[in-house]
Order: sequence, then structure tokens, then C-alpha cells
Amino acid sequence: MKKEVYNCLLCGTPLNVQVTWKWLLGNAFERTICLQCEGEFEPVDSSMDTKSDFEVCSFYQYNDKMKDYLHRYKFMHDVALAKVFRNQIRQHLSKRNEIIVPIPMHPAKLKERTFAHVDELLKAANIPYQHFLVKTTTETQGEKTREERINSPQLFELIENADVNNKEILLVDDITTTGTTIEHARKALIEAGAKSVKAFTLIKG
Amino acid sequence: MGIIIEPKIRDFFTGRIWTRNHTPFPQEKIDRYIERGFFKVKSAISSRVHSFGIIKMKRYHCNRCHNENQKEFIEFDCARCENKCVYCRHCINMGRMSLCTDLILWKDGFPKSNRNHVLDWTGQFTPLQEKASKELIRSLMENRNHLIHAVCGAGKTEILFPAVHYALNQGKRVCIATPRTDVVLELFPRFQKVFPQTTIHALYGGSPTQTGFAQLIITTTHQLYRFEKAFDVVIVDEADAFPYTFDESLQRAVIKAGKLDAPTVFVTATPSVKILARTKKEKWGVSFIPKRFHGHPLPVPRFEPLWNYTKTIEKGIIPTKLVQWTKERLHKNEPFLIFFPTIQLMKIATPLFESIHPDILSVYAEDSDRKEKVMKLRNEEIPGLLTTTILERGVTIKNVQVAVVGAESKIFTSSALIQISGRVGRNVQFPDGDIVYFHHGITTEMDDARNEIRRLNKMGFGREKG
Repeated sequence: MKKEVYNCLLCGTPLNVQVTWKWLLGNAFERTICLQCEGEFEPVDSSMDTKSDFEVCSFYQYNDKMKDYLHRYKFMHDVALAKVFRNQIRQHLSKRNEIIVPIPMHPAKLKERTFAHVDELLKAANIPYQHFLVKTTTETQGEKTREERINSPQLFELIENADVNNKEILLVDDITTTGTTIEHARKALIEAGAKSVKAFTLIKG
Repeated sequence: MGIIIEPKIRDFFTGRIWTRNHTPFPQEKIDRYIERGFFKVKSAISSRVHSFGIIKMKRYHCNRCHNENQKEFIEFDCARCENKCVYCRHCINMGRMSLCTDLILWKDGFPKSNRNHVLDWTGQFTPLQEKASKELIRSLMENRNHLIHAVCGAGKTEILFPAVHYALNQGKRVCIATPRTDVVLELFPRFQKVFPQTTIHALYGGSPTQTGFAQLIITTTHQLYRFEKAFDVVIVDEADAFPYTFDESLQRAVIKAGKLDAPTVFVTATPSVKILARTKKEKWGVSFIPKRFHGHPLPVPRFEPLWNYTKTIEKGIIPTKLVQWTKERLHKNEPFLIFFPTIQLMKIATPLFESIHPDILSVYAEDSDRKEKVMKLRNEEIPGLLTTTILERGVTIKNVQVAVVGAESKIFTSSALIQISGRVGRNVQFPDGDIVYFHHGITTEMDDARNEIRRLNKMGFGREKG
């Protein structure tokens, strides 16, 4: 069997994968980071966010380790890091019945980054997805203040000829802070006739 | 229609291999120079198909870091070139190089180099230093490689001064490369002081932009990735400091940065077996200095068991022996360094040491205040510093006492331990000091380090000391 990853993708220490029955017979992806690094990511206490008026699920806290991860993945453009959370993402999303819709990037931004980071996370986890939305602005939420984010005009449009009527949708994004992005996407989909819109983000900022 | 070459463009790009879209100059300007053929443009990643009979294998090569480890090339669907693209993970920290990234190389000639460099140094050489310095100049004249094997505190940097001066006045471009940023920061002001009329640049991750054509460059080995056939002489200081020994591509970077046939000079206190073998096989010049410049022997480390120190520290307690050692330093007013095998353990220990003395600080590689903290210890503003192996070399602090916690850990190789021990007793007024290896079991690396120090003392003094 050919190994894909020989060293921890985050710290470079060699990975000693133990051959177990679970590993041979199960369908979990091969480990990509060492236990030490894995231990430094902190899961969110409760996966349900009660502040929002609809369901948003998040996995991890935005601690220093996660900041470093996201920086290397999104800003240093290390696409290989899409694999780091593939087991967790698949575990969480493979049994969902809703249509998985990643939050899209603005086309100009995509050219600049060379890859769509949310799509790559899903691809790495082997989760099928569909695009219904287009981003209409190149502004990023991260550069704005809380007030500016909450009051920003609609960020998304529906893709031409997209049929979301009566569909159940699960939005996926890498990180949510104020929830503005998700809220805008949800509104656009509900207005277009979606039956329900829930959301999943890897990180709760 | 031609264009007049701006000196600042030529000065910057001479000898460099740079990303087309990330230069310190306006993009339109760079594109205009490229159009006029002043630059050679090449893709950052090249691929070659090797065929073994019917089996064909594609092999990638990074044109910046010369990495050829195929596991470090990642294929992905690229939205920029709208194709299957590939990037090099090896040098990604310096900005990602992919198949659709262009690298540019300055084709036009070199700026005129200065041949009137002044060496403003009035120090006195010991006979051994004098000899090594002359041997080095001879090697440069003969265009052959040279190894300076000198114990910690032998005054290696001073030995380089006359040789660098000689090379510069020959109109040569010289590079001093070292694996550690700390060493660059330590060397740069010293060279600036003794070569007051020479343009010198210091390069390391995050270094400021410096103008003019530098005939002398002091750089981390990593930054050499950004040069190609640039130097007439390459001096590698602390040649075997991590990560240089482990990383083949850094070694290739040293070769790539030099012009063809440019001699390489290795300076180290702990040459690897490999380098020693090469010196014999390839007939390098070799200078050996087993004695410190102040004429006193190297302090010999003592071993002190510290059983289960990890568990004890994790429980929130500093082992008694370590507390005693620290308190003794505080009582005697001696600055100290305590080396830890991992950042994690050091981070747990830091608040515990703070309760012994509130001004004890800790440093590690990513610490942004590293420079300031070492300076504070040197200026006696703080009593001591906890550190990872990051401070194992190039750091000189008067009368410093050193403890290694967990000397049996893998990271403390014999050469790391020799270097750490070499921090002690470097000053003429304080030629001795305590160097203790606290351990959970003695390793061969620890024995090797102590034996080597004893051997060097024997060679330098004809009899065993300590």
C-alpha cells in the first residue's frame, strides 16, 4: 500500500502509522498530522450555536494553532493542508441528507489564491458538493469591523438557472465569526425558495 | 528603442533569482525590463520525464530551492493557470513556487566592484589564529575549498577578516552564510565596524530592504535560495548547525549561490565526519585551532541525573537539583542559560521559574522578542534565560553559566552539546564556568561530547584538564 503522507504536514516530524485492524478494515483516511499537532487544536465545547436563529455547527476554536493552520493554508497557499481535517469533515458531513453548498469565492479572488479553499476541504474529504451562489464583492469580512460586517449589503447572488426550490441545504465555510457571511448566503437561498438552510463551519472564530 | 538601466534595479537583481510578481519595484517597470530582454525568465518548477523501458516517471525540480524530493511536490487544480499545476512545499515559507510562477534572472553584467576596501581592525592574533588566517588566504589564492576547524571561542570571525579583505580587494563578491538568524545578527555589526567603507547587506527572513550593490553579503543559508551564480567566495559559518546538516537542498543552495569554481570555506567547531572526509579526498586547505584565543582550556561538562524531570515539571514542580542550581546562580549574581529539549516543556517551566525570580524569561525560534531578550541578558538586566537549542551557537555572554535539561534527548546531538558547552568561559576575565548536563540517563552523544572536549583540551595543552 502506498503511503501518501510520510511526515506531519504541519511540523514535519515523521509519522509512524501503526497498522491496526481498524486501519486495515475501516475506511478512515490515513493520518496527515502527528498526535502532538492534533492535540493542539481545541474542539468547540458545544457544537450548537444558540446565538444565531438558525443552526450553525462548528468544530474547532480559533486558537493560535488554528490561526497558524489557516494562515498557511489560505494565505501561504499550501493546498496540501486541505487534507488535515478530512476525517473530521467526512465524519460530520457524509451522512447528511442536505445538499452541501460551499461558500464561494469571488472569481478575481479565486484567480489570486489559485484555489477555492472551502471546495478543497470538501474534495479532500470526498464530500460531493454543488455551487448555487456567486460572490458579488471582493471585500473580505476579515478586514472589516463588526459594525461594517453586520450592516454590509448583500454579498451573494444566485447562480443563473440555479433551482433551489424546496431544497434542503447545508452551507459550508472555513470560519465564522459574526456569522454575517453565512447569514447573507442563507437569506439569498431562502429568498430563492430553499426549504431549509443550515450551516457547518470548520472553525468558530 | 533602448532604456537606460536604473542602477537600483541592476544592484538589486545582480546574482539574484527572484519571483517575477513580488519584487520591491513597480510591476510595469519589471515587465518592461523583461520585454527588453534584461531578464531570463523561467518557470519556478520544471518537470522532466524519465523513462525506464516502458515505465515513464515524471520528476519535478524546484528552480528556486533545487528541491528534488518528489514527496514535497504537491499537484493541484490551479485556478490561475486553469490546469493541473504543482508547487514545491520545501521552500513554501518564502512564498509558494508553482508551475505557473515565473522566476527572473538578471542577464546584464555585474556592477563595477570596488577594490579599495578598508580593514579597520587593530586586534591581535594568537599565533594559531595568525597561521589559520594565512592558510585561508592561500586557499583563496589557489581557488580551493578550505575548512577552519576551531573550538568555540577560538576567535573564528576575526580569522575571516584578512581573508574577506583580500577577496574584496580582488574585486570579488563575498558571501558569509550561516544557518542561524541569530548568527547573522551577531556578525553583521562586527563586519560593518571593521569594513567601514564596504556596502554590506544582512539577509534573513523579514530583513529590511537595503539599497546599493553589496559586495559583501551576510545571510542565512535559507536566503541563498534567492541567489544563483552570484558569489566568487562563499563562506559557511557554523557549517553544521541545524538545519544545514540535515537539509541537502540547503547544501545545494550554497553551491548554486556560488559561481562555477567559486571556493567554499567552511567554518565550524564541530565538523561532521563527512566534511572531514571530503577535506582529505578533495584536498582542501585545513586549519585546526584546538585552543581558545584567551589561552584557557574549554570548560568540561559534568553530568547530573535529574530522574523523571518531565513528569516533575508537568506536575508544576521544578526538580530540586535544578532549583538549587538556579538559586546558586542568582546568589552569586552569575547570568545563566538553561536549555530545554522542547518548546512545550519550556513553556510549562517558564512560570515555575518566574516564581524563583520574576525576571527570568524564555526564548524560542518564533519568539519575536528574541533579539531583545538576549540583549537583556547580555546587559545584565535579567538574571537568566530559558531557551531551546536556538541559542546553542553564536551567542556570547560574559560569565554565563549553562545547564542543559534533558541532555539525553535526541535533539541534543554531540555537536549541539559541544556548541552549548562552548557558550561558557569565552571571556578573558571569566575563562571558566559551570556547564552541567541534567539528564534522565546518559547517552553516547553526551559521552562523545565530553570526550571530544577533553580531546581538544589535550591537543591544545598537551595534557588533560578538567
